Amino acid sequence: MALIELKDINKTYNNGQPLHVLKGIDLNIERGEFVSIMGASGSGKSTLLNILGILDNYDTGTYTLDGKLIKDLSEKQAADYRNRMIGFIFQSFNLISFKTAVENVELPLYYQGVPRRQRHEQAMEYLEKLGLTQWASHFPNEMSGGQKQRVAIARALITSPQIILADEPTGALDSKTSVEVMQLLKKLNQEEGITIIVVTHESGVANETDKIIHIKDGVIGQIEENIHHDAWGGPLMK
Amino acid sequence: MRIEIIHEIASSLRNNKLRTALTGFAVSWGIFLLIALLGAGNGLMNSFSGNVEDYISQTITVEGWRTSKPYKGYKDGRYIQLDQEDVTYTKGDLWEGVIDNVTTTTSSTSSTLVLDGKTVGGWLTGAMPRHQEQFKIKMAAGRFLNPDDITGRRKVIVISGSQARELVPGDVSNILGKWISAGPISYQVVGVYHTDESDFRRSTYIPYSTYKSIYDKSDKIESISFSVNGPVTLEEHKAFEEEYSLGLKRKHDIAPDDRMGLWIRNGYTDNLEMNKASHILSIALWILGILTLISGIVGVSNIMLITVKERTHEFGIRKAIGARPGAILKLIIAESICITAVFGYVGMLMGMIACQVMDKTVGQKAVDIGFEKIQMLVNPTVGLDVALEATLLLIIAGTLAGIIPAWKAARVKPIEALRAE
Repeated sequence: MALIELKDINKTYNNGQPLHVLKGIDLNIERGEFVSIMGASGSGKSTLLNILGILDNYDTGTYTLDGKLIKDLSEKQAADYRNRMIGFIFQSFNLISFKTAVENVELPLYYQGVPRRQRHEQAMEYLEKLGLTQWASHFPNEMSGGQKQRVAIARALITSPQIILADEPTGALDSKTSVEVMQLLKKLNQEEGITIIVVTHESGVANETDKIIHIKDGVIGQIEENIHHDAWGGPLMK
Repeated sequence: MRIEIIHEIASSLRNNKLRTALTGFAVSWGIFLLIALLGAGNGLMNSFSGNVEDYISQTITVEGWRTSKPYKGYKDGRYIQLDQEDVTYTKGDLWEGVIDNVTTTTSSTSSTLVLDGKTVGGWLTGAMPRHQEQFKIKMAAGRFLNPDDITGRRKVIVISGSQARELVPGDVSNILGKWISAGPISYQVVGVYHTDESDFRRSTYIPYSTYKSIYDKSDKIESISFSVNGPVTLEEHKAFEEEYSLGLKRKHDIAPDDRMGLWIRNGYTDNLEMNKASHILSIALWILGILTLISGIVGVSNIMLITVKERTHEFGIRKAIGARPGAILKLIIAESICITAVFGYVGMLMGMIACQVMDKTVGQKAVDIGFEKIQMLVNPTVGLDVALEATLLLIIAGTLAGIIPAWKAARVKPIEALRAE
């Protein structure tokens, strides 16, 4: 059974005029895949990502994550699923500005009720893994974009989630840092077998992934297998 | 988990110093004002009730007065003279068990008191021992008249402090035992009653029987004083006065509906009305206090609202990484409680310090009200219990004030919260 199974997902926004954003999405994503969802703005890719991340709900269809039906969850359940199964990486990093790097990384564990010391040790471990040990007690505004995104990645990884959802992870970064971040995600996928879904509108970023799912006007178009990108991938970025 | 949330709060408060300071100020100021206000009010009431105790005794005094209505052939404006019969009426079976401790005073005679060539004016009044208690006469030296003075018709006298100061140098007690002459008669001073420097009372007291045998052999009486058992409320006292005076009015041919003719001073109802006044004062104080507290609460809730709005994005992040709505709610409320508790405590301390300062400054000052100096504020402080209750109330109210915005924040969908900037 696939890790993520979407069957006929429909989503309509009702802000004045009804806007049918997702028009019957069917999609399976297997464990360990490194996938990108690509589309122009307004294509529905962000909405799809929000539904995958249980940040938003859908109207009809079924979404099954790791065998659990994600439908009509209470806020509490949704929070618990997000906490344990999903790691988020955002375009604007979304770090809490008044917390240090290590405190930001600790936060998901705080909501799991992990004791302070253990939380801290684990967070330091992940920061070390991402080469940020000396930045642990710095605040986000003292760090570069690439460093901030690596802190965010550490925060996404710390709960060992089933999937990592990255929403335009390189959108706020320069091209050099973008490459680094994508290499990092790729490495996490290959070495740790973490399922990663990247939403982007940049083909260069999408090209770094193993599978590119094109979405247009709320329906899935072409699904492109991209297994040979390693041979010539890097230089294509931006 | 409990310690965890304290760390969460501490870091959040530490990193939002201005917001914390503003909220804290609103809370501290509210509590400070409340306590200072209650303290001053308490001081005022203490001085009030202290003065009541000093000057108003549980006594009813009746004196003759001018009538205001013609009745039974008499013109109005007639002066009513009480006499021994009225005392008999007052002491009689009719008022058995109701009226007690009946005393009388004679009218007064003007006289010049002389001691070793020094003179001072005075009014001699024949009084009974209980007069001291009934009129709250404070002794500065010696004693008041006693029953033996009455039965022995002794030539003893109680004079005022101001008279004593004019007659002898130094302490007023120097005059005790001295014989002073009032016209042809000499009296031995047995007591000096207390008067302030600014108080030039000239009343002197000699035994009732002595006065009657020397100055006024008639059975005329100036005033009748007594205590009562039975009437308690204001209405009961009014009814009693009505009923009691009716008997006297009948005897002296005063119109039953004449408000004048008899002058009745009722210390019981004076007391009741003073108590009512101080009760109203205390209610007014509490209303002011509560209004002050409300302004503090509004301050807190206002800031909580802004805070929550400002932090929506942060709450969105927290929710995205797995914070339950309850955790957000708890965080906001706990922050609100922490701020109100800490700053409420600070405000409480400041308020109590302000009370102490009031006590040491205004509280030590006496105001001259003519015949006596009184303290404006006596012990202007607030009990620790009231202070703690007020602080607790503000903490609870601050929490309640935080709940609505917190509840809103907790309910915002993470996706919407994340969009907020």
